[in-house]
Amino acid sequence: MGKAKKSHPLADATRPNLLEDVFPHTLPPLIRLNGPIIERIDGKPVEFDVSDIKSRPIFISDTTFRDGQQSLPPYTIDQMVHIYDLLSRLGGPNGVVRQTEFFLYTKNDRATLDKCRELGHKYPECTGWIRAVKGDFRLVKEMGLKETGMLTSCSDYHVFQKLKFASRKACIDSYCEVVAAAFEAGVRPRCHLEDITRADIEGFVLPFIDRLMEMSEQVPEELSVKIRLCDTMGFGISYPGAQLPRSIPKLIYKLNRECGVPSDRLEWHGHNDFHKVHINGSTAWLYGCDVVNTTLFGFGERTGNPPLEGAIFEYIALKGDTCGIDTLVITELAEYMRSIGLPIPENYPFAGRGFNTTRAGIHAGGLRQDERIYNIFDTEKLLGRPPRVAITDKSGADGVAHWLNEFFGLKGEDRINKIKVHKLARWVIDQYDEEGRLTAISDKELEAKAREFYPEYWKKYRQA
Amino acid sequence: MATVAERVKAVTARVLRVPPEDIRPEHSFTEDLGAESVQSIELVAMFEEEFGIEMDEDAALSVETVGAAVKFITNVCKEQGVDVEE
Repeated sequence: MGKAKKSHPLADATRPNLLEDVFPHTLPPLIRLNGPIIERIDGKPVEFDVSDIKSRPIFISDTTFRDGQQSLPPYTIDQMVHIYDLLSRLGGPNGVVRQTEFFLYTKNDRATLDKCRELGHKYPECTGWIRAVKGDFRLVKEMGLKETGMLTSCSDYHVFQKLKFASRKACIDSYCEVVAAAFEAGVRPRCHLEDITRADIEGFVLPFIDRLMEMSEQVPEELSVKIRLCDTMGFGISYPGAQLPRSIPKLIYKLNRECGVPSDRLEWHGHNDFHKVHINGSTAWLYGCDVVNTTLFGFGERTGNPPLEGAIFEYIALKGDTCGIDTLVITELAEYMRSIGLPIPENYPFAGRGFNTTRAGIHAGGLRQDERIYNIFDTEKLLGRPPRVAITDKSGADGVAHWLNEFFGLKGEDRINKIKVHKLARWVIDQYDEEGRLTAISDKELEAKAREFYPEYWKKYRQA
Repeated sequence: MATVAERVKAVTARVLRVPPEDIRPEHSFTEDLGAESVQSIELVAMFEEEFGIEMDEDAALSVETVGAAVKFITNVCKEQGVDVEE
């Protein structure tokens, strides 16, 4: 045990300090950064001024219709158009959800893109996604898209084992031919550096980026190559001190400051194989990559991608403002996804049916006294979802009272107190003690009992 | 008319299912008489019904013993103009 180095006098208080500058409740908890972060790169300390995040134009991009669809049965055209419409409302007039990408290969792919554009939304901008094949630019051109993603895989797992190139040089030459074809077609290429987190960064990735930057100098700015860093297998590491190729800070540094790719031409695309997907995306933002690529509810290949709604709340927390985002649309999207048969786990943050439902009576007691004690933020205001209590044998009278008040929509002085819920609380306890029940009590059962035990409230608040 | 103490004892015996003769003023509802969380709520509700009064939830639930409950209820009855036998 070490000896204490510093004493810490108690700051006694008779009134609470609820730290409302960080936890305003009307917004998600804000992320305050001191900055700069120091990362040692190639033996030298490098500063990253993360406090500039408030003023930097960072964005969210979406791949719900591309990567998001690779793990699911295909959406119908109408479903995609509806989702696109909701994405536009979610991102708001400032285009926080800046772009979304579409497959272009089938008649349905192209019809979907047309119908989405017919809605006339400025954001998200529609981009394409093609293989690194010259002929595919015909599709992009025909659809009148200004930008398309293209596969430019960069680990030797892909270069040699999958794509069977004879050498790294042959691979880069081939990719660059396709980039040149994009320029010729007047389409901005977005090179998707697949598997970058297990690639040879110094030996392959940086020389390839150098070539792309040289090529970009020959074309107008609006055609210059964008780079998507694809953490295809979820190997990326967010914390300082990690080594390349897994270190996200170092990857971004190398591309941004050594190769000179501007931040607004860098995009991070992650996967969740190691439960790091959201924080890796946020880390990319902080270290100089302006765009984080996401999918709704994290649906995506295997374990999925950064969840768009998670990025939305991270964005607000970093900016300290909703910036025109309509967070209520997240609930609308979740309901829609469920209605078309896509399951969202009950406890899934922000969107699961039980994300702000407590089962513990002691937590319900806290909620009853002050919602802020056990609700992450004002979930009713931001998501249209007031905190809820699921009723089990652990709920206690506090839990039952909370459920009943929420059911009747009673607030403040009108709330039914704990004493008056004793009949329902007794019924709940007897379900477990006397009837041997092992499952939670459904809302339907509780509603029937509420009607039976509290007919005057039922008449006043449910029949009105 | 029965006294407040007798009526409190009768309600307590009924709700907690203990013989009235075993209940003493110094008994704690929870520790000596075994009242569980929901039973504490039921006790307060039954006292309200028995005496025709309304009690402050937090104050009523903080009463620990039978004797303290007798005093508390007597005071509430006086405040709310309910005649009782002391």
